[in-house]
Amino acid sequence: MSKFNFPSIKETNDLSNLRKEVRNFITKSLNDKDFEPSADAWVFSASPEFSKKLGSMGWLGMSFPKKYGGNERTALERYVVTEELLASGAPVAAHWIADRQSGSQILRYGNEEQKKSIIPKITAGECFFAIGMSEPDSGSDLASVKTKATKIENGWKLEGRKIWSTGAHIANYMIVLVRTSPASENNRHEGLSQFLVDLSLPNVSVKGIPDMTGQRHFNETLFDNVILSEDALLGVEGKGWSQVVGELALERSGPERFLSHFTLLESFVNEFKNILIKSGSKLIGKLIAELQTLRRMSFSIASMLQNGESPETQAAFVKELGNKFEKTMVETLREFSNIIPLYEWPSQLQNLFEDATLRIPSNSLRGGTTEIMKGIIARQLGLR
Amino acid sequence: MNEELGIILETTSKILNKHVDHKLRQNIDNNNSDLINLWSEIEQLGLPKIAVKDKFNGSGLPLSTTLPIIKLSNNIGAPIPLSETILSNYILSESDINPPSGIITYAIDVKNLKILGNEISGELISVPYLNLTDKIVFITEIEKTKKVILIKNSGENKELKKNFLSEPRYNLKLNKCKILDMKTINLRVNFKHLGAIVRSAQMIGSMEKILDLCIDYCSQRKQFGRALSKFQAIQHQISEMAVELSASSAALSTITNSYDFYKNKKDIAILKIRAGAAAGKVIAISHQVHGAIGFTQEYELAYFTRNINSWRNDFGNESYWEDLLGKDFLENNNQNLWEYLT
Repeated sequence: MSKFNFPSIKETNDLSNLRKEVRNFITKSLNDKDFEPSADAWVFSASPEFSKKLGSMGWLGMSFPKKYGGNERTALERYVVTEELLASGAPVAAHWIADRQSGSQILRYGNEEQKKSIIPKITAGECFFAIGMSEPDSGSDLASVKTKATKIENGWKLEGRKIWSTGAHIANYMIVLVRTSPASENNRHEGLSQFLVDLSLPNVSVKGIPDMTGQRHFNETLFDNVILSEDALLGVEGKGWSQVVGELALERSGPERFLSHFTLLESFVNEFKNILIKSGSKLIGKLIAELQTLRRMSFSIASMLQNGESPETQAAFVKELGNKFEKTMVETLREFSNIIPLYEWPSQLQNLFEDATLRIPSNSLRGGTTEIMKGIIARQLGLR
Repeated sequence: MNEELGIILETTSKILNKHVDHKLRQNIDNNNSDLINLWSEIEQLGLPKIAVKDKFNGSGLPLSTTLPIIKLSNNIGAPIPLSETILSNYILSESDINPPSGIITYAIDVKNLKILGNEISGELISVPYLNLTDKIVFITEIEKTKKVILIKNSGENKELKKNFLSEPRYNLKLNKCKILDMKTINLRVNFKHLGAIVRSAQMIGSMEKILDLCIDYCSQRKQFGRALSKFQAIQHQISEMAVELSASSAALSTITNSYDFYKNKKDIAILKIRAGAAAGKVIAISHQVHGAIGFTQEYELAYFTRNINSWRNDFGNESYWEDLLGKDFLENNNQNLWEYLT
């Protein structure tokens, strides 16, 4: 079990001060009515203006090198900023994917030109990304992707479609996982590559898919023989699988896996504190214990990332536990409506609760399902 | 400090692995020479007084440092009152009482205690390993002051408690028992808090062992022509155990890495809640994947699951700590939840 340790990392005074700084900024934004707190804001609530403001505060691309317009701050500092933004339900969806994973992928695998042209824009909150992994026939079985890139003179030809591309309709780029050569007989992970695709290129079309809540964030992205320049290849041809696995550690380990609906919990306890003291302290205590444990695990992973480790398995732990926590939380609140009927809740709280109830099934699907997380853990335990 | 601890851990591991097997666990008696030999090596290493002050011939290490040792002992499944002795000695030493040598245990609860002169009467509830020692520490309030009391029990007044623990536990009636020492407790020492931490470390050590047992068993046991570990239904159950365990370990490492952990009621509550909840799942899943063999005395799984089932109820179960943690937040009017968490 020693490989699944989550060493305890203390929050230093500098980090606490940064926390306060972000908190003050959010309070001011709320006073100025820059945004309305919402549930699942990192998926559903995009505001390019707000993203730009965060960029000007130096809170995007925080750990990126100064050379490319970054801030050269630590992964722990980034953790603190993202936590504060998530806890307040701020509209962070526009830049979320670029800041969380795409920027790091480009810094790790991109060429100088790509770094110089794209990274400063991500850091400024002016360049957004979508994820190009799932396809109509490839969900959990990511290695089965059929979208392919064929070598042509001076470049590549891209053909296929990606689905569930959250935010592709406002994104500038997508990092697309494709097949560049057939899988070998005993290793399906070979022959995959990642491409950095400008979504404004000819023959790229993005079509919205309303989700079950009726809102649009999902898309289907069609690549109909898109001509890519040679340098659109991100990283090494044929090494797409190992690259994408690293990207997934960034995708799965963050506080959005357990703070997506924190605004709901916060409003709930503010509203019903007096009643909860009498009859709900145990329920709240249980949620606090789980949430605090998750925060420590995720913070610990941020420190592993800072040290250059690849905590893919630890990320699966956080995602699995975080998804479970969020579901339990919504259930706990639902049961409370036995004491105070839902229609007596303030309307803003009712809205948050209903949004959370509707959206909660997606938390254990996006970024890898529960079954995939458990499979990753089982492999590390030597069971498969 | 870390290097020193590393050496102690390595030596402890060697001693325990040399002496402990499942047969030893089934004969926990003070006339079992194997057990006596094991304890005397533990004593030579200085473990009982590892958190005792220098002036009482202890090693003077912070109690948090001893948690990895306690965890290790219960990972190997040593049927000895190591955690009880370390904690009892720590409490005595912190309250300026010179700890006696040898095994020493404590009473988790006390009832109807009356002190007359130098003698005490009343009931001690849930005293572990009273078969191996007659020295007992307990804490009680006398005229609004918390006191630490050390006694030597002489009579045949103990009653073996039927419980779901693998380790022996007793209730005890005291009738004018002589008090060896009594002092006002050091305010840093909160018995319930310390007990909760130590029991959590013991649970985590045991759960790590249980996980290993499950992995080994399911990899070897074949049904329907293949190893149980190749069934996805089994893999996912064992993964769930690992998730529970890793969350508990994360909660423990917060305490282990903190020298002033005793001040932090919140972190202690979180640890006991998390480890207790994990224990419930680990017990259910480990027995499920083992089938009938896990339900026998001859196989070692039940030794560990019985222990954690008992420890999760010592020093406050999950509900106790959840209620305490919830109230700690709800009764504090100045902070919203996020401020409280951060």
